[in-house]
Amino acid sequence: MSTRRGGSLVNIKYMFHSDIADNQGKPFSTRLYQLTQRRRHWFFIAPALIILLLVVIYPIIFSTGVSLFRVTFASQSRPFVGLQNFERMLGNDDFIQSAFNTLYYVVFSVSGSFLLGFAVALLIRRITAGVELLRLILIIPITMAPIVVGLMWNWMLDPLFGLVNWFLGLFGIPGQTMLAHASTARLTVVLVDIWQWYPLVFLIIEAGMATLPRAPFESARLEGVSSWMIFRRLTLPMLRPVILVALLLRTVDAFRTFDIVRVMTDGGPHLTTETLSLYLYRTAFTFSKLSRAAAGSILMLLFIGLISALMFRYLYRDVEMG
Amino acid sequence: MRVPTSERVFAYVILIVMAMLVIAPVLAGSITAFKPQIIWVSSPPTWVFEPTLENFEFVFFTRKGWVYLRNSLIISIGSVAVALLLGVPAAYAFARFRFRSSKALMQWLISLRMIPPIVVGLPFYAMFLYLERGLGIGLRDTFPGLIITYQTFLLPLVIWMMRGYFAELPAAMEESAMVEGYTRLGALWRVVLPVVFPGIVATAILNFIFAWNEFFLALILAGNRTSTLPMTAGTYIVRTRVEWGNLFAVNMIIMAPVIVLTIILRRQLVKGLTFGILE
Repeated sequence: MSTRRGGSLVNIKYMFHSDIADNQGKPFSTRLYQLTQRRRHWFFIAPALIILLLVVIYPIIFSTGVSLFRVTFASQSRPFVGLQNFERMLGNDDFIQSAFNTLYYVVFSVSGSFLLGFAVALLIRRITAGVELLRLILIIPITMAPIVVGLMWNWMLDPLFGLVNWFLGLFGIPGQTMLAHASTARLTVVLVDIWQWYPLVFLIIEAGMATLPRAPFESARLEGVSSWMIFRRLTLPMLRPVILVALLLRTVDAFRTFDIVRVMTDGGPHLTTETLSLYLYRTAFTFSKLSRAAAGSILMLLFIGLISALMFRYLYRDVEMG
Repeated sequence: MRVPTSERVFAYVILIVMAMLVIAPVLAGSITAFKPQIIWVSSPPTWVFEPTLENFEFVFFTRKGWVYLRNSLIISIGSVAVALLLGVPAAYAFARFRFRSSKALMQWLISLRMIPPIVVGLPFYAMFLYLERGLGIGLRDTFPGLIITYQTFLLPLVIWMMRGYFAELPAAMEESAMVEGYTRLGALWRVVLPVVFPGIVATAILNFIFAWNEFFLALILAGNRTSTLPMTAGTYIVRTRVEWGNLFAVNMIIMAPVIVLTIILRRQLVKGLTFGILE
């Protein structure tokens, strides 16, 4: 078994003993064998760790490096410009606009999908028949490719033959062009995002509710506590870690929104639906301003890092990680 | 739990409406894939018609859909295989050995979930470009290049999910096998892996779905030779005209395998989707 770490003197003495005293005069191969025995976990972990450092950490370092120079795909010369790219990005109206849009997505998509998902999780506990079928139906949007969801809703929302307008027409409401107007496009995209992801919140909350102990709820009900008070004082506090996980995952995903917007509006009209991911993609690949996009992506990483670090701290107060 | 009838009726009504809102667009869209071209955009929508497979035929052969399907399969299966190969041993070590940095490393793995794809996609494009120009190593628009890139989101998930499955098994299992003369690796291979196999299958399926649906990294790093199915879906939209029947045929080809896999997997799904944080 593994060597157990502990504060006891015996352990420390034992480790000391085996490390130095035993090894004196033993052949190198034996010492090497003992070393591999003590560090054997690294043989299992190292391959995965090396690849992760290579595909996640190195690109971020590379990106940070690129952001300090002026690099384009077109020119060979790469002068050092310091923080100029960051200044340009923060002073750029389009960048600020897309950052604001991203924040809008995060706030409304996360809160919308959370409230809807939570409500469905509460409602499904009140029914008995068809629960399994309902769960199955609700899983479908989660597993659809976001790009398929976006294309599907493009069709649903078409002003001429889309089902949404056909349905509204039944009530005498004339055809709407929701995706073409600056005032409605952003909200429409958010609603589609909610459509896809509220089932995820539902699944998480429902799984959390299934693990709650029954006794406190039963005794509260016996004592005649109202169901609202049971919800406020028992369900919500006990579900806190689960709720935080759901919010954290949704926040992180809403922050990176790209696919749905790319196929539904491609950032338009007039940049009202442009997200940070989309804007940086365009900066790098349409306008070939690689180092400026790199600076923007580093800013984006810092921002989401800050948000998730705050949420993490709340989370770890409750959940003891294995 | 006793629920008053009025409350139950209310719950049923709301839930049925929610389920309809979820299923109706999916069904209506899927039906369009079987409509002949003349009624793709009929208004009001035509519900009764002679179903045809000509859209699928067009997408699959005329527009070379089978090539993209093949590319998607190679990339998804390949990247999941690599992620399992690297991730399963690491997960085993995290579940079984106690060492100083294990907790910090696991938390670091979760934090990788927060990184937006653009943050790694952008440098990957430039890195592949420099590798090609500088060292003559071409990774852009190749299967290995994409399979390596996909590890950014697959590998942490594989480690987290598999760690959970390994931790559920009693440590006495390998210990008794080792007493009987197996080495640690032998015990892992002969005794532990067969037992944990359903967990491996669940992990593989969920990761396959993520790789299959991936759009952003493929958009940046794949080209003519490696285009995936999600990338081609967008090509059926031309500013002036959308080939809706063909588009939904592609959508069906993307969606159908995932829905089948989801039905098989649904019990393990939450665990995977939440990254196993909820254990």
